[in-house]
Amino acid sequence: MSDQALTTATAAPQERAKAAREPYEFKLSHIPAYLALIVGAVVSMSPFLYMVSTSLMTLGETINRRLLPRTPQWVNYQTAWSEADFALYFRNSVIITAIVIAGVVVTCTLAGYAFARIEFPGRDTIFMVLLATLMIPGTVTFLPNLLMIRGQVIPWPSLMNTLPALTLPFMSTAFIIFLFRQFFMGIPHELYDAARIDGAGHVRFLTSVVLPMSKPVVMTATLLTFVNSWNEFLWPLLVTTTPRWRPLGVGLYTFISEAGPETHLLMAGAVITILPVLLVYFLTQKQFTEGIATSGLKG
Amino acid sequence: MQTSTTAARRPRVSASQRREWLTGYLFVLPATLVITLFGIFPIAYAVYMSLHRWRVRKGAFVGLDNYLAIVGDWWGALAFFGGLLLILVAHWLWTDAFKRADGAPLLGRLLGAMVLLGSGVAISLGWQLMRQEGDRRFLSGLMRTVYYGFTAVPVQIALALVIATLLFQKLRGQELFRMIYFLPYVTPAVAAAAVFRSIFSPRPERPANTVLEWLGLPPQQWLFETRPVSQILFGGLFDRLGIELTGFWAGPSLALVTVIIFGVWTFSGYNAVIFLAGLGNIPKQLYEAAAIDGATRVQQFRYITVPLLSPVTFYLTVLGFIGTFQAFTHIYVMRSPATRDAVDTASVVIFDTFYGLSNFSLAAAQSVVLFVIILILTLMQNRFFGRRVVGV
Repeated sequence: MSDQALTTATAAPQERAKAAREPYEFKLSHIPAYLALIVGAVVSMSPFLYMVSTSLMTLGETINRRLLPRTPQWVNYQTAWSEADFALYFRNSVIITAIVIAGVVVTCTLAGYAFARIEFPGRDTIFMVLLATLMIPGTVTFLPNLLMIRGQVIPWPSLMNTLPALTLPFMSTAFIIFLFRQFFMGIPHELYDAARIDGAGHVRFLTSVVLPMSKPVVMTATLLTFVNSWNEFLWPLLVTTTPRWRPLGVGLYTFISEAGPETHLLMAGAVITILPVLLVYFLTQKQFTEGIATSGLKG
Repeated sequence: MQTSTTAARRPRVSASQRREWLTGYLFVLPATLVITLFGIFPIAYAVYMSLHRWRVRKGAFVGLDNYLAIVGDWWGALAFFGGLLLILVAHWLWTDAFKRADGAPLLGRLLGAMVLLGSGVAISLGWQLMRQEGDRRFLSGLMRTVYYGFTAVPVQIALALVIATLLFQKLRGQELFRMIYFLPYVTPAVAAAAVFRSIFSPRPERPANTVLEWLGLPPQQWLFETRPVSQILFGGLFDRLGIELTGFWAGPSLALVTVIIFGVWTFSGYNAVIFLAGLGNIPKQLYEAAAIDGATRVQQFRYITVPLLSPVTFYLTVLGFIGTFQAFTHIYVMRSPATRDAVDTASVVIFDTFYGLSNFSLAAAQSVVLFVIILILTLMQNRFFGRRVVGV
């Protein structure tokens, strides 16, 4: 019985997607729409095109208003990579992002599950309070948080320039908890009742029944967290005073002032920073945009 | 069973139920701990800091002195914030206050209009008083934030709606377009801002000025231009007519407009993707029924699409204002010494007060003021649009 419920729960979206795909029929009236969309797309893409093109130019070409380099100077990437310590920043960003994703998925799955499935006093109040934090601007919290990391609020040793300082504050967000809660509330109650009869508690039920069917929401949470963590700037700027754990974004920012007029190297640095995000985005873009669209709507 | 006496009075709580509770608390504990420590506690601490003298190290308790340094004049602040709240009162009078009495809408509207007029006077008088004595850096920053929010948010929502409606017609390549439009949103802001800095550089050979040249227009200073756009566009006309726009009415500088362009570029695609999902949720039958009744495409858009999308629009507006009011990264990267303070919005000023001036308590007070303004703004949006929204 549980198997049946499981298949219906996962099959529904696929069927809907199939139904939405109607045969395409070209109409003359579509031409203005296409034109407008293409113009928009070109404008939207132009910063990327400019960035990639310039990153392959010589210094001379960047000044001589050329659209494309005569011969692509791939060496620019090598120069930028070694001039700023991009190898170190890159490694730092990967480590920080991986830890934050793991933290977010674990804490928010647990919390989302409890808010959706377990009854305990004060549950809805706690949830509402957490949700209200979405309204709080980062500009209010960064200063007290920085003092806290320095050990000036609660007397612990300063965490400046350490991995915990960069990861701990992002280990959980109300939005992702909300996402998981919404998804878990849609899982049929009968499944849990069946698991109870088989003697499974919440932990067993969560790990062996709920999680295997929660791939879409885990994926959305992972991608959102990946982008947010990779793109984080203000906080790492504050808590890294040495290059030891400095992530790519802050590294690129310091490189901007160092590179000065060498636009081609600067653009190569920008490509290095953007590339991982774009790669992940292109590989997962369907789940990505759909996850964001549906999660955004429910918010 | 030591607690049997209390358990007897209340509805019985069984051991298994208590275990269930414990599981629940343990499950939410890690997330709650992190969010409380880094999301909720800092607000209380920011308020605490703002009540002291605090330059790097904590000093004496000074009460509301830091806030006085920001607003300059309590009466000015009272008039300003009171004026903001009066707008809410005016709206209430206009719509609800006399709903019950007969023939009263006219009276309500008359009163509402008068209160609205009063609130306008109060806000502008209060603002003038505050500007004279208060923290000019921060207040100017707030003004730029208002420019930013009130231009970027409507523009990006309108653009997004256009993109979404175009994409929704089941064109070929819908997914490709959607992917391209969404791209700016996932791009790291530092890198994108670095690229924008180069595109909108004042040098004549850079892309923005090259485009102007193609159009036969003179090159501009872009990010380095501290003059208001109104001055650049209509300066000659104003001189001839003897008009001089100053302060708030002069509008944003070209440098700030460049920052706004970045914001619009980033969020239009994101908004469009969410609109697109919202369009998908509108039942097709409504359009079919309207078509049978002879409604044109424009009428269908006006009377079906717009009202049924209103929850999405509302959500995106709230999100947009919260986003623009705390925007930091791209502004911080795009500004340069030559820009002076032309693009410093409130959040950048707060950062500077802390980082450059090391005045922690003033920065904390500024951040609390910004927070309160965001709260009032969200409250207003709720009041104005929250109820016109269908299905919320």
